[in-house]
Amino acid sequence: MEYIIKNGIVFDPLNNIDGEKMDICVRDGVIVESVSNEAKEIDVSGCVVMPGGIDPHTHIAGPKVNTGRIMRPEDSYLDIYNKKGFKIGTGFSIPTTYKTGYEYSEMGYTTAFEAAMPPLKAKHVHEEFVDTPQVDKGALTLFGNNWIVMDYLKEGNYELCAAYVAWVLNASKGFAIKIVNPGGTEAWGWGKNVHGLDDPNPYFNITGREIVRGLTIVNEMLGLPHSVHVHPNDLGHPGNWKTTIETMDCAKDIEPKPKYGKRETIYHNAHLQFHSYGGTSWRDFESRGVEIAEHINKSNHITIDVGQITLDETTTMTADGPMEYDLHMSTGNKWANCDVELETGSGVVPFHYSPKGPVYSVQWAIGLDIFLNTDTDKVLLTTDHPNGGPFIRYSRIIAWLMSKKYRDYWLNEKVHKWAKARSSVGDCDKEYTMYEVAKISRANPAKALGLSLERGHLGVGAIADIAVYDIDPEEKDANTIEKAFRYAKYTFKNGKMVVKDGSVVKEVFGDTIHVNVKINEELEKELMKDLKERFKRDYTIQMDNYPVPNELARSWRSINIDATDIS
Amino acid sequence: MELILTLKEDITVPVELDAILPEKIQDMSEEDIKNIEIPQGRARIKIGDIFDVELKDSEIPKMTVKNSSAKLKRIGEGMTTGEIVVEGDAGMHLGVEMKGGKIVVNGNADNWAGQGMKGGEIIIKGNAEDYLGSTYRGGYKGMSGGTLIVEGDAGHEIGEHMTNGVIHVKGSAKSLTGIHLSGGIIIIDGDVGDRIGGEMIKGAIVVKGKVGNVLPTFKFEGIVEDPVIKIRKKDEGVKVEGKFYKYSGDYCLTKPKGQLYISVDSNPDLRK
Repeated sequence: MEYIIKNGIVFDPLNNIDGEKMDICVRDGVIVESVSNEAKEIDVSGCVVMPGGIDPHTHIAGPKVNTGRIMRPEDSYLDIYNKKGFKIGTGFSIPTTYKTGYEYSEMGYTTAFEAAMPPLKAKHVHEEFVDTPQVDKGALTLFGNNWIVMDYLKEGNYELCAAYVAWVLNASKGFAIKIVNPGGTEAWGWGKNVHGLDDPNPYFNITGREIVRGLTIVNEMLGLPHSVHVHPNDLGHPGNWKTTIETMDCAKDIEPKPKYGKRETIYHNAHLQFHSYGGTSWRDFESRGVEIAEHINKSNHITIDVGQITLDETTTMTADGPMEYDLHMSTGNKWANCDVELETGSGVVPFHYSPKGPVYSVQWAIGLDIFLNTDTDKVLLTTDHPNGGPFIRYSRIIAWLMSKKYRDYWLNEKVHKWAKARSSVGDCDKEYTMYEVAKISRANPAKALGLSLERGHLGVGAIADIAVYDIDPEEKDANTIEKAFRYAKYTFKNGKMVVKDGSVVKEVFGDTIHVNVKINEELEKELMKDLKERFKRDYTIQMDNYPVPNELARSWRSINIDATDIS
Repeated sequence: MELILTLKEDITVPVELDAILPEKIQDMSEEDIKNIEIPQGRARIKIGDIFDVELKDSEIPKMTVKNSSAKLKRIGEGMTTGEIVVEGDAGMHLGVEMKGGKIVVNGNADNWAGQGMKGGEIIIKGNAEDYLGSTYRGGYKGMSGGTLIVEGDAGHEIGEHMTNGVIHVKGSAKSLTGIHLSGGIIIIDGDVGDRIGGEMIKGAIVVKGKVGNVLPTFKFEGIVEDPVIKIRKKDEGVKVEGKFYKYSGDYCLTKPKGQLYISVDSNPDLRK
């Protein structure tokens, strides 16, 4: 099937195209130079054309998302997707898999990464991916509290650690290394947490610094497409911004050496909003978003995603078990907690960020502080779905960023006065341009994830993931912006039209993206000695039953990495 | 305009009536109303299929359901104004999320009556079942305003997660009355079952009859006579007559402000 998308105003930051009127040609799922006369012509005069959106950090599949769905029937009741010819879906903050896929597609998104996959539960993640339509997806595998990783790093045995990480990535069909509260989630197994980067955890006696630095070294030894993806210690604690900056800099000197893609950074800080808190308690809680942003602006090794609070009733879920316990104690709301043997843990708590709440209003402002003050080459748009708010609110965030008037309306009319007093949002005049919006939702995620060769741009050879929005590039009316980005005029996935006028018209199933790392045979033999012993002694599962079987995906998109140079 | 719906014959498959409210039918003709689609089980039927429809002049928006059955569910869901009179029993989910107006049931009401109610008044002349004035399954924000009066008995877990408003049961209630209560007042003239006020954090429960037991996580505060119950300091207060044991709780939570009043006369052995 051939398409020619005519007369659109194209925003493609990876190819430096800023609002040029041009035609995009598509053949067999790929963007090409030209098409034949038989190509179907779609006139999009006056509309904005962008690459398909990429969500680098979201929670859409796996055991904790499902726990959220099970424990929150009342969330299911809030929103229903019921359109003829498509699967019925329910849920506002934790939608069912089909609804998730349809809604991403409606917004012009075509790729999404599940940000926390416990290796032991990887099968569940991939099983849900099989049922998530419309988007390409991948999952980041959790390593930050893994016993085997912690043991190797404590010994300083980076080679074996790298071999182990490679083996787990292959076994879990993961995409990158995710670190959550390094050392802390393991400490939670002992009823404790760690505080700060240099607080050793019980038994393993290893600090967050050693884990983050160690895994960054391992990541660059292996040459994975994405950098380490870090959720630092002390999430959600007033005064945690210092820990955040220390964590950002603890592996500063390591060079990026990706064997795939064009990544230039070695550290990705997830949901930075939750890590930019000043003050010493909730009473003197304030924004340190500007200080953090300034730090990022002068560092070249960092990318961040924001995790913007959208002030909705949502469901928080993270592998940071102790933090969810704190949250449960503060609200008295229902709580689910889980320990994954040897690997990680997690927690789920429903949470209502009320605009009237002083703390929540400041949290909202902190996210905007980061968006407005950080170099737009380094920021990625997320809400840490569903922790800060559901992903369907991305369009509202874009409206806040593009219109100072709308931002001020919320600041003065809707949220608590603390937001104005304790952040710099009111003082900032910056308004995002359409080009910058394309950067934070397309180009930057593609580049940070190491996938900018084939996605996140509209150059010849790229996957034909395209979003068309019915909006004037100079539009300043917030409602128009919000509506346009919530319901795309057209979305193309792999060259097929899947959304027309904001409604899904075709159900497609994207690929599951994962890395396939090849390691030296000698090293693998050595690893197996240790690993077989581990499985025999510690795991409740046989080693042979551990890997994700090949049939757990509609189609795999493997990124092959040759790391045989490690010995 | 008053709409009178008379059920032609008894039904076995439940019907959901949320599509039809007094405020919605004001400008409709009899024909229009007869053609309103409603679900019956998994089929869709028309109002005219099972009801005789009659319109009468009336000063307020009104709806009367005659010959009603417990299979008529969701009567008055989301209602904001007017009056509904049910002659007979009402099915599950009576007056769910209603914001204003009045519903009178001259019979019994099934489970979930007044679930998530925000305002208005529901009077049930017969008995009510479980989850009266509660929240949606799993939710944590129950009835948040209005008045619910039951002249007969009520079932289990009434006022679950209630945050405001008044529930008055003139008969007795079963177990877990006012579970997770976080505001509002529940008054029971009759007896109640076990575990009254479990995990309540705020609000008040008054029992004039006999209680099964009081949870050990409640603290005895003394005996009070004719108390004026206030949930917030600024409240005018609700005066109840009689002599009561006053408890605070539930101390399985931190800093609870729940109040429990239990009649001394009906429970002479409670503190022995």
